[in-house]
Amino acid sequence: MSMQLGILIAVFLFPGGLFALALGLILKGLDRRVAARLQGRIGPPLRQPFYDLIKLAFKRTMVPTFANQPVFLGAPLVGVVSMLLAVALVPLSGVYDPNPILGNLIVLLYILMIPAVVLMIAGSSSASPYGAIGFSREMTLMLAYEAPIVLVVLAVAMRVGMAQGEVMTFSLTEIIAYQRANGIFLLDPVMWPALAAFALFFPANLGIIPFDIPEAETEVLEGPLLEYTGPALGLFKVMSALKAVVVLSLGIALFAPLNLGGVWGFLGWLLELTLLMEFGVTAVRLSMGRMRIDQAFAFFLKWPLLLATASVVTVALAT
Amino acid sequence: MSASLSESFTIPVGPLHVALEEPMYFRVDVEGETITGVDINAGHVHRGIEYLATKRSLAQNVVLTERICSLCSNSHPESFALAVETIGGLKVPERGAYLRVIAGELKRVASNLFNVAILAHLVGYEALFMHVMQVREDAQDLKEAVFGNRMNLGAICIGGTRYDLDGETTDIFVASLDRLEPKIREILSTYKTNGSIQRRTREVGVLRTDDAEACGVVGPVARASGLHHDIREAAPYHVYDRLPPEVLVLEEGDVWSRALIRLHEALDAIRILRAALKDLPDGPVNLGEIPEIPPGRAVSRSEAPRGELLYYLKTGETEEPERLKWRVPSFPNWDALTFMLNGAKVADIAIIVNSIDPCISCTER
Repeated sequence: MSMQLGILIAVFLFPGGLFALALGLILKGLDRRVAARLQGRIGPPLRQPFYDLIKLAFKRTMVPTFANQPVFLGAPLVGVVSMLLAVALVPLSGVYDPNPILGNLIVLLYILMIPAVVLMIAGSSSASPYGAIGFSREMTLMLAYEAPIVLVVLAVAMRVGMAQGEVMTFSLTEIIAYQRANGIFLLDPVMWPALAAFALFFPANLGIIPFDIPEAETEVLEGPLLEYTGPALGLFKVMSALKAVVVLSLGIALFAPLNLGGVWGFLGWLLELTLLMEFGVTAVRLSMGRMRIDQAFAFFLKWPLLLATASVVTVALAT
Repeated sequence: MSASLSESFTIPVGPLHVALEEPMYFRVDVEGETITGVDINAGHVHRGIEYLATKRSLAQNVVLTERICSLCSNSHPESFALAVETIGGLKVPERGAYLRVIAGELKRVASNLFNVAILAHLVGYEALFMHVMQVREDAQDLKEAVFGNRMNLGAICIGGTRYDLDGETTDIFVASLDRLEPKIREILSTYKTNGSIQRRTREVGVLRTDDAEACGVVGPVARASGLHHDIREAAPYHVYDRLPPEVLVLEEGDVWSRALIRLHEALDAIRILRAALKDLPDGPVNLGEIPEIPPGRAVSRSEAPRGELLYYLKTGETEEPERLKWRVPSFPNWDALTFMLNGAKVADIAIIVNSIDPCISCTER
């Protein structure tokens, strides 16, 4: 009984569910606020994403006449559920260890792809030509960043696994334990190619400039999200807030888990998350423009893939 | 490279589209991400201003034409006044002619910066957008300081200008230009070198010289496609024979070169402003009371920020004109979009449309 209870708490309260949602929304508010300050604007209050969500919750959901209604309304639900599970899968060094029954890094990788798939389904079920373009772009982008991230995870798994006499380990808990004992991968030159490839992957996975191509507002009017209104759109916002927490904390777990525990470990993790949001998301999306989908595709086949391949090779040679 | 959908489909761009500031409508046939056909549809917001103009007296029409478009709000009454002065045989006092140049060139600085800022917004480079708009704000402040208004200057009247510069205002003007110029130079070098801008604008929306000639494009669009054409130089009005513009002509014909031409012209406008402020002669700024304008017909041309603006005026026995017609620069440039958009990517539609700096409120008169 207590195991089920623990999993339920992890999925719905902490670190997943309500906590992750609030954290994701605050991070989003922070991102908007800091971006505004960097551009010489005042910007919205930190709690603006909460206001947006509450407003959407009380609006009507409209379904386009030609849309496939069950799919159209089901897609955001699937997205939110997948992200609730994903948050519970990422350990928080010294604070939270996911129950192994939930799954390992490979499961997490699969779940991480669901939001993109959900957006594709949403775009194609909305019967809007912009949704269709968004679908095609989302798919192209996913094909482009999928290979590098798998190789990055492989590199990390090999680094930890080979040190323990196995070939590789896909348990994030073990990966964190290894780093707590032997120093974080952020400071390990062997892991730098993997780190660089991951740094290029996560803007694409989070859909921020320069890779917000599927939803580019000035090109395809938010693409898949164009026809969504009210609570359904709100669910997409919930999904993207949760996803931000998942992807950022995955980055922390893979490369820089703190060797702390308890309250300090939690506060340190929050600080890392905030710094990663500011430097990895806000600064990146402000310092460049959007790529075209063909440019992004070519880019991912070049640098991240090269770096990710190099990371696997260096890990194999170094260990 | 992009995953193309097997079937081709038609997407509507406009009449209301977040990336287009004004209502215009394109039916775009798309195959995957590539445009295979464009149908440009005008007339969504017919405004009936030409009809309205025949119900107003000539003096009232100066006010009316100023409200045709906010960004070239000085060029419209300017051209209209030129046409009236041609029919009436009026000679604008020299100081008035200089002041008209000053008003027009200041509007050009702000208008060109605005368009270049929107380009940054469309490629998703929000920080650059904000910066350019901030620099434009300096030009807006200057307009407010000199004319009392930020957009509609109210500078032009038949026979001269309605405003005058005193010593103090001239000092403010010059100091403000000194602040503005290095900032615009910096923006120009950013647009020349920035990777994000180049990636999305070079070799995008190319208009070849012969196509440009066939469409009769004007203004920065023409000059970016290798056509040496500037009314200020070809048919100098006011005192442009004494303050000739430096006409920059580029051959590439892409969105990037159009942006560079606009920035160059903003800098050149500052040079002209400085020269005009320095040479500003003494004397009256307008003719005072205007004699009755006889029946007649006239055509006048001026170089608005977007290119050649042409006015046709026919006066009769009454105070109201019998016919007033204008051809705005966006009209021929709009047509050239067919050439620019064909074969382009869906992602570039808004960028290409913006590159002609379309002004729909002028065009759908």
